[in-house]
Amino acid sequence: MALITGASLIAFFFVCAAAVLFSALLGRARIPTVLASAGVLAALLMVLMSITVLVTGQPFNAALWTLDGFGSFTIRLDPLSSIFLLISGIVYFSASLYVGSFLKRHGDAAYPSLRYTSLYFALMASVVLILLAGDTPLFLISWECMSILCFLLINYDPIRQSDKSAGYIMLAMSEAGFLAVAVAFILVARFAADFSFSALRAAGATLSPQTMWSAFLLGFFGFGVKAGLVPVNFWLPRSYTAAPPVFIPVFAGITLNLGFYGILRLNADLMHTGYGAGLVALIVGSVTALVGILYATTEGDMKTMLAHSSIENAGIIVAAIGAFLVFRAFSEPVAAALALSAALYHIVNHSVYKTLLFEGAGHVEAATGTREMDQLGGLAHLLPGLSVVFLVGCLAISAVPPFNGFVSEWMTLQTMLRSAVLTSTSVRIVFALCGAALALTAALAVTCFVKTYAMNFLGFRRGAWELRPESKLVSKFPMAFLAIVCLLMGILPTYILPLLNEGVAPLAGASITTALVQPFFTATPENAQLPPAFLQDFHNLGAQAGRRFIPGRGLVVLLRGGAANPVVFAMSPSYSIIALAVLFVVAWFGLRRLTRHRTLTRRPVWAGGIPRLLPLLTYTGTGFSNPVRVVFQAIFRPNIVEDTRQTVAAHFRTAIHRKREETHVVDRLLLKPVGIAVEWVANFLARMHHGKLNAYVTYVLAFFLLVLFFYRGG
Amino acid sequence: MADYSSHIAGGSAASLIDLTTALEERFGNRVAQVTEDGGIVLALAPSEPATLPELCRFLFWDYGCLFGGITAEEQPSRWQVHYAFLLPASGWIDVTISLPLETTALPSLVGDVHAADWHEREIEDLFGIHFENHPRLGDFVLHDQIWREGIDPMRKRFAADHPQLERKVDLEWQPLLVVGDPGSFAMPVGPVYEGGIGESLHFLLETVGEDVIRAVPRLFYKYRAVEKIAEGKSVLDALLLAERFAATSAFAHSLAFCQAAERIAGIKVPPRAQALRVLLAELERLRHHAGAIAAICESTALAVSAAQAAMIEEKLLRATCAFTDHRYLFGLNTPGGLCRDFEPEKCKALLLAVDNADGDLQVLENRLRYSSSFLDRLEEVGVVNGESARDLNLVGPIGRASAQQCDLRRACPYSGYEQYAFEVPCETEGDGYARLRVLFAEAVQSKKLIHRVVEKLEQGPVRVACDVQRPGAAMGWVEAPRGAALHWLRVNEKGVVERYRAITPSFNNWLGFHMAAENFAFQDFPIILATFGLSATECDR
Amino acid sequence: MSFWFWHGLRKGIQSTRYPLGIEDSPGVSPGRPVNTDFSTVEEAQRAADICPTGAIVAHDRSTYVNHGKCVHCQRCLHSLQSPMNWKAGYEWARLPANQTESLPLPSPFAKSMHIMVVDAGDCGACLHEVKQLNNPLYNMHRLGFFFTPTPRSADLLLVVGPVSENMRGPLLKTWEAMPTSRKLMAVGSCAISGGVFGKSFMCAGGVGQVLDVDFEVPGNPPPPLAILHGLLVVAGRKSLKSPEPILKGRS
Repeated sequence: MALITGASLIAFFFVCAAAVLFSALLGRARIPTVLASAGVLAALLMVLMSITVLVTGQPFNAALWTLDGFGSFTIRLDPLSSIFLLISGIVYFSASLYVGSFLKRHGDAAYPSLRYTSLYFALMASVVLILLAGDTPLFLISWECMSILCFLLINYDPIRQSDKSAGYIMLAMSEAGFLAVAVAFILVARFAADFSFSALRAAGATLSPQTMWSAFLLGFFGFGVKAGLVPVNFWLPRSYTAAPPVFIPVFAGITLNLGFYGILRLNADLMHTGYGAGLVALIVGSVTALVGILYATTEGDMKTMLAHSSIENAGIIVAAIGAFLVFRAFSEPVAAALALSAALYHIVNHSVYKTLLFEGAGHVEAATGTREMDQLGGLAHLLPGLSVVFLVGCLAISAVPPFNGFVSEWMTLQTMLRSAVLTSTSVRIVFALCGAALALTAALAVTCFVKTYAMNFLGFRRGAWELRPESKLVSKFPMAFLAIVCLLMGILPTYILPLLNEGVAPLAGASITTALVQPFFTATPENAQLPPAFLQDFHNLGAQAGRRFIPGRGLVVLLRGGAANPVVFAMSPSYSIIALAVLFVVAWFGLRRLTRHRTLTRRPVWAGGIPRLLPLLTYTGTGFSNPVRVVFQAIFRPNIVEDTRQTVAAHFRTAIHRKREETHVVDRLLLKPVGIAVEWVANFLARMHHGKLNAYVTYVLAFFLLVLFFYRGG
Repeated sequence: MADYSSHIAGGSAASLIDLTTALEERFGNRVAQVTEDGGIVLALAPSEPATLPELCRFLFWDYGCLFGGITAEEQPSRWQVHYAFLLPASGWIDVTISLPLETTALPSLVGDVHAADWHEREIEDLFGIHFENHPRLGDFVLHDQIWREGIDPMRKRFAADHPQLERKVDLEWQPLLVVGDPGSFAMPVGPVYEGGIGESLHFLLETVGEDVIRAVPRLFYKYRAVEKIAEGKSVLDALLLAERFAATSAFAHSLAFCQAAERIAGIKVPPRAQALRVLLAELERLRHHAGAIAAICESTALAVSAAQAAMIEEKLLRATCAFTDHRYLFGLNTPGGLCRDFEPEKCKALLLAVDNADGDLQVLENRLRYSSSFLDRLEEVGVVNGESARDLNLVGPIGRASAQQCDLRRACPYSGYEQYAFEVPCETEGDGYARLRVLFAEAVQSKKLIHRVVEKLEQGPVRVACDVQRPGAAMGWVEAPRGAALHWLRVNEKGVVERYRAITPSFNNWLGFHMAAENFAFQDFPIILATFGLSATECDR
Repeated sequence: MSFWFWHGLRKGIQSTRYPLGIEDSPGVSPGRPVNTDFSTVEEAQRAADICPTGAIVAHDRSTYVNHGKCVHCQRCLHSLQSPMNWKAGYEWARLPANQTESLPLPSPFAKSMHIMVVDAGDCGACLHEVKQLNNPLYNMHRLGFFFTPTPRSADLLLVVGPVSENMRGPLLKTWEAMPTSRKLMAVGSCAISGGVFGKSFMCAGGVGQVLDVDFEVPGNPPPPLAILHGLLVVAGRKSLKSPEPILKGRS
């Protein structure tokens, strides 16, 4: 097996290099084909690598070379990185096909160039290297490469000279994050034998609380920048909005995950943080989720909305990671395993459906020339295929069964309920509050994506755009593939969880599959008081059903509370989908039978008897989400910058103009005061430096006196 | 404009003689004539329409007159346009301008007297007279998506009886929107809506979702051309139209019509008939206000109170029917008095029913006053301040809730109202709750008036012969339940109606509706609508 | 707010017993003129002449009343030496003149009927009487009748008013928007014959001029109980032939 992994690894880098070479040789016209085929091949190799590791459960190790002073560069593919590699493979598979088809059909001559291909594959290689890195130097170097490549890709837009500052802001934030991460690693490495992760892991278990907290906070900040956590995520909506549509799937589906990978690697794997760190992550995650979804719901630009939604999902994931850290610190391995698998499941889900939605959004933008939901509408008739796959994405992200979002959000909320096992009341209160915030987030997410789908695909076309005919030719396969992944992950969680378990078990100290299913069904002493027939039933239902047809686990995710709260939580999207399908079929045949003699008459839309229903008489996206804006006015604090009424003949209104401006709540509450403070200090310092000699002499004297004062006793 | 209310408050009500002097000083040697029934006719020569706005402005703003309305009539050789103003406690001023039939344009008053807006739009639509400087003419009574331009149905040459088959179906119909908020849209409401138990009219709510920035009503879906089809009918037949175009205030309108006819015929109505007319008019007001209160309760979704108020209304309807044999007081008024007399026992039964209704209303009012959730929804909702109310010449309970004290029963008494003591309730806040308080207070006054009428009721005939056989024109006025109603009538020597004009309180007040319906939350819309209590059919005619 | 609850309960049941019993409170119906036999031909002719809408037709010494045209001006009652006979009652629903038979709604709708009301230029009286059906004193809901805000779920289109030109389009649109197995009921003399407004450039002169009417409830306005009778007929729960209860004589 290790041979296969190693061979695919070599093949992967070879394919990346070959793609660049071929695009240089074959010329512009062939670049989309080269990019798509090489990308697909590379993605498949990623999947192969990760699957071999996940199935065998054996990490893959290789030493590259040794540098004096740094130790040796090593490559290590353990189950945790394999999970992220698997996601990257799935996303790259779809993204490469999408980019290829998109560029081919839309024929933007400026996109397909050698530079473009090089950047694309360089980013791919750096991402894989980050995940493969077995020691700090390699990790940091490839992380830095990834940051710079991201910046180059965002500002790589030869056609639309759009917001260049977005790229620079992102670069600045990434660099700040990188520095923090580097310091965090060095803090841990001070106590380690060398820079390899295994040495760090050994040292991480024995850190003093101060070092632990410093490393945690620095690492959490540094990786939080990439993951899009409050308050360091202001770069994210801007740069996602500015980035060319063909790249965003890569950002949203892959580089965002690296933030979670970093957090997990540093705080869960290398160090053993206390529960305080977990609470910080939990609170930051919940706040991020709520703030993210509030701004997503009220946002009118489709790309910006999806970016805010990414922030929301990052919040949910980090909240689950925080719960994992807390449970682990309290030595509750089962709950910790549940929390971590919820987080990992959600990471996979989010990458899949967010890639799908961003691809869809890019497609809509290319087809119509606008991203404004107030302008769009009625696309379901114009692009029916896209409408179906986009609907799947919206349902999945809204956590509607039978799609995958439901599974991970269910597990995340179950995790929050699991806090009942904790002994500390204050921690339980924090869990309860965060759980409420996450539940509110889930509800708002539904509003947000009902709006997104309804305003873009249903109703009338509101703006003055025309559908570009060539957009119909863009392949829907990459999106359909992801939609199918969404469905499969939604209906077969019992097959996905064992894969994730490989990554979860070493970190949590408990196996998720045994934690979720086995103890309840097998005749453990704990279950001895339950009637055997009952146990047998559940055993068959949960663990054995389907075993005769398909190799694998049962179709029910079951979860039994501890001794204090022995409630059974159960979920089976697999059975739900079967029941739903049966119901649909029965209902369909029943209806057909009932109405076989009826004729169907189509009548115009009822609009209260007005002459015609015009697009401007129907809801806009802004109007749909305005109730949310009104309810959460305390957070949005709209600032009315214009409210004018024009009249003629003193009385007749001819125009009413109103304009609102909103400052993001994080900018308003955190960044603005910091900015003002920095400016004030800078001004103060500037006033001190006015070039008068006697003043400088006074400063020196004052400093001298100060030093004397402090050291008078010494 | 600053202290307009002192004029109307009656403290310094100037007499008509003073006014004629003032007019002579201001506008030179034009002499205003005082007519026999105490009004002024101020005839402007055809050559000087330009002074018209100035004159009207002087009357309305400087002299504190109230604007009644505009009546255009086409005579065989000329246009005659009457501008009615009321000097409270003194009498009516009829500013008349005669113009040759070839004239196609008149100066518009909207810059000076905004209340003239809809009158001018109606005349433009129906007569084809253009009003210079009026910014929004056309598409008013005759909806543009159905009627082509150039049809002037009120012109004599237009035959009312044959259907217009030449219809223009306008697929390019677009509503006029003025709001430029990002993401704003217009929500159409009507003309068929609200479970169908609303009247047919159409609103365009310009909104950004939860906040409605402006709501504009579009009326005249129910326009039945009452004024046109009355022409050529006998006075008695035209009375049927006057009575039936707005049934919830049928008695008030038939009374105003009969007064106009009686004024032309020059007869006096016997005192018993006058007193009974007051009684019936107040009964109608009481019943109308009970219905309006029920509608307000319903709009706030306070179901029990709505049911209670609705029962009060239905009991009054039944009492009315037991008293007059018609639930809506049809078929009672006739030029010369009333069609029938009422026995004392019936009056007694009516008094009992009225007392019961009044008692129930007071119980309801006391309970509503302590229902904070109800008050929250009415207070500060749909505010029309006194300045706008004066500007738009709001009448009736709506005007009185915004500090406009005018009540024709007091300002220009008719049918013997001067004999009875009563109060004119008035509020200053101008919000929904003020309007509700005015309705309750007026219901109490109506009950008191009914008692006083029955106490003072003299025996005698209820009807004198009134055969309108001489040519003439006159105006009858009443304070209908919703406010001042003016019916202007011209008959020829055969007693045939030449021109009939009904200026109704709803027509006046719908103009002011948009003032109350600006920048509100969507769920307040039914409340604003209900507290205005306006009738589309009374407006549309 | 609980006092509202008690306040409501304290009033007890106020609803009429109709159609199970007879409602005979004073004032529930204004009554209407009925066919009258006079002693002379002239008297009959005078009665016919005084009717402003031609609802009374004289034949020999008898007069016949077309209630679809009667506008309830009471002139044949108060302004004649020998007045017409008037009769109270409210079971007034009938078939349109041009129809010999209208089937009620199919039986599944009998227990629950959703009614769409369109005001096609009504004077407010008929509409107000329709609205009174929601009044606790009539309480239409106890019979399974409901007003619906959308024609999509309506079984019956109830039209009041003579159909003004500006409402013709919305009325037709409403009718078109209704699912089939729909019925149309014209309520009030205006909706049946145009009433006092008649036929003009602005008035179609009745719903029958625009759409095929299935049932009519004459009256100007018909009292709520008459409309309720009409609804019961449309739902197939009352037959048109049921004898009219004579409640009080007035001749």
